[in-house]
Amino acid sequence: MTLLLALLLTLGDDPMAPLLAKLRETAAKSVVAIDVEREADPDGITGGGAVSQHRDYYNRPKGPTSGVIYEDGFVLTSRFNVSGTIRKNGLKVTLWDGRQVPGEFIGSDEQRDIGLVRIDVKGLPVLPRADASAIGQGTFVALLGRSPDRSHATVNVGILSATSRMNKTAVQTDAEMNYGNVGGPLVTLKGELVGVACNIKPDAVWGQSGGVGFACKTAEIDKLLERMKKGEHIPAEKRPFLGIRAGEGNPDVEGIQIVDVMKDSPAEKAGIKKEDVLVELAGMKITDSESLKEALEPRKIGEEVELKVMRKAKEGWQEKKFKLKLEGKAEP
Amino acid sequence: MTLALALLLLAPQDPVQDLQQKLRAVVDKVKPAYVFFGNGSGVCISSDGWALTNFHVSGDRNGQRVRMPGGKQYLADIVGFDPLGDISLCKLRDAKDLPFCELGDSDALEVGQNVIAVGNPFLLGNGSWEPTITFGIVSALHRYMDNPGYFDAIQTDAQINPGNSGGPLITLDGKVVGINGRIDIKRFMNRVNTGIGYAIPSRQIQRYMEAFKRGGRVFEGFIDGIQIGECGDSRYETTGEYGDGVFIARVDADTPGGKAGFEPGDIIFEAEGYRIGNANRFHGVVSNWPEGATIRVKVRRKAEEKELKVFLGDPAKILERKRALEALDLGFAPEAGMRVGAIQPGSAAAKAGLKQGDVLTRVEGRRVGSWPEFRALLRPNAELTLTVTRDGKDVEVPLRVPRPKSDE
Repeated sequence: MTLLLALLLTLGDDPMAPLLAKLRETAAKSVVAIDVEREADPDGITGGGAVSQHRDYYNRPKGPTSGVIYEDGFVLTSRFNVSGTIRKNGLKVTLWDGRQVPGEFIGSDEQRDIGLVRIDVKGLPVLPRADASAIGQGTFVALLGRSPDRSHATVNVGILSATSRMNKTAVQTDAEMNYGNVGGPLVTLKGELVGVACNIKPDAVWGQSGGVGFACKTAEIDKLLERMKKGEHIPAEKRPFLGIRAGEGNPDVEGIQIVDVMKDSPAEKAGIKKEDVLVELAGMKITDSESLKEALEPRKIGEEVELKVMRKAKEGWQEKKFKLKLEGKAEP
Repeated sequence: MTLALALLLLAPQDPVQDLQQKLRAVVDKVKPAYVFFGNGSGVCISSDGWALTNFHVSGDRNGQRVRMPGGKQYLADIVGFDPLGDISLCKLRDAKDLPFCELGDSDALEVGQNVIAVGNPFLLGNGSWEPTITFGIVSALHRYMDNPGYFDAIQTDAQINPGNSGGPLITLDGKVVGINGRIDIKRFMNRVNTGIGYAIPSRQIQRYMEAFKRGGRVFEGFIDGIQIGECGDSRYETTGEYGDGVFIARVDADTPGGKAGFEPGDIIFEAEGYRIGNANRFHGVVSNWPEGATIRVKVRRKAEEKELKVFLGDPAKILERKRALEALDLGFAPEAGMRVGAIQPGSAAAKAGLKQGDVLTRVEGRRVGSWPEFRALLRPNAELTLTVTRDGKDVEVPLRVPRPKSDE
């Protein structure tokens, strides 16, 4: 067997293939598929603007998502995968050997986008942990998930793109991440757990499979594991937000080029439009996203602030002023 | 068995481990030279702070706040820029001993070769000031797109997203072979990578470098006075195969094209060693040089092959732009030692409050040591802050540069 591997390494077309084959054989045994049946209409949705606040329900593709055996009897996944009002006995976990068992969503952390599911099965393999000091930007990683028919593991390869994301709680990878494999484990090519894939949601600007994916670090999960086991659902801290998406600057006007205004956001309600350039907020000059952050930080949710934007008209750039009431939003 | 596998993984001859080591090493080497540039990216290419980015990221405003990994701030001045080709050369003020990344040879790239992109997609690195590294291959070379003019782009599947613009594309030996710019987006309402990103090649940037350093807007090269076509012209059908060159349909006398010796019916098939198969490639090769350059072009004329030397750009326009800049009358006499001489009453210099005997030291905080250097920093109609030494003290003088006459 070893000889065969050695031969493969020297003769094979793709030297990575045997490593990935091994991941599919061994590490994949810790990867589960998660099926969730939700109530058709969650409480409190009466239509209209509420739809955008419950995109988890409306923009969620069909099919199973992924999770990882984190401790004996506990599955860790992306919170998004198990959010919403789940029907009675509506959460099913499919193990590597095809067994389907009921699961119970017991705890979560909104900020880190992680959720804990308990299953009544013991003795499943738990992945070894990667040594955080031995990995860094440029380390090859693989993102494991379960196929749509739940029968086998999926493997997407990439590198660690960054190690300090989401307030240092997550790593970033260019392994393609989408609705199916989010919640699965991000591992080294030796099958050691780096983190749990998270933060691919309908409203994430990085979209899916765009080369920007995140995995909550194991050290961060461990910090909250006991609380989640006790049934705690930790809400994300809300921050003041405008509802604009910043572009890459404008050659004519110094400020933030607005490339998108989010639906039902404070910016949209105030009348700010796509293509406007934001130049001032509450008297503070805005030159880039950092200065916007600095200007927003001391403000309170519910506070009214004045915005100055430049809008392109036939006669050239025109200054416009808007007043808006800041709303709170949990930023990832 | 496990032990044997582990040994295999660690053995240096393991190609995966080999690649892994190279990758980690190149990331460590190039990451410190990355520049967080507004809502995009840049890369430092010299220890004294010359940096490259996209024009659509930088614009031409001086004194922009940029940061290096770790968060150290600098002010960047945009020295030379090419809005069509989407490149800006900037200088970080008061920079010395900066980590930097050399420009490599984009002509030596091969399709399939591994590359990394360093950038700040979705501005995720803001705050932690840790750039994003993505890994992929060179998918294709010499891609042509217009507006903005990526006429000779490198295509890569290293994931490039909004915020990566202006950042470097780097080979595994740690050289900058391109500046990442646009991406192809085919997703509705969502600017996210689809595996197709484009970079402006380093060889083109190197050819523009001298013009960028002279300062101001740089124009792309073109052959003035010839009209080209690919097919549909009956003469072309009889003289060449499609994809085998570009056909010259017309040549105007008294233009650089005419003076170079082109004749109607010639087929251009090569320039400066690059094969030219069609009109897009022709445009792509020629615009690899800025206007004012002279390049060698090979043509087929009946059974003969000829090499011609041709000047790029419209000489009249070049002269007009040069004169307009020289004619900018600030209203003072420049003297040796950066000393300001006699001042004309009512001139821009007088309005700014410059005094005879002032010694000019800085423009917008940037040190200037000669009058040509000072000239290069002038932008028509710009407001610049000059620093002069007057009676042993530094004094700041706001200067409004007038418009050149030809602009009016």
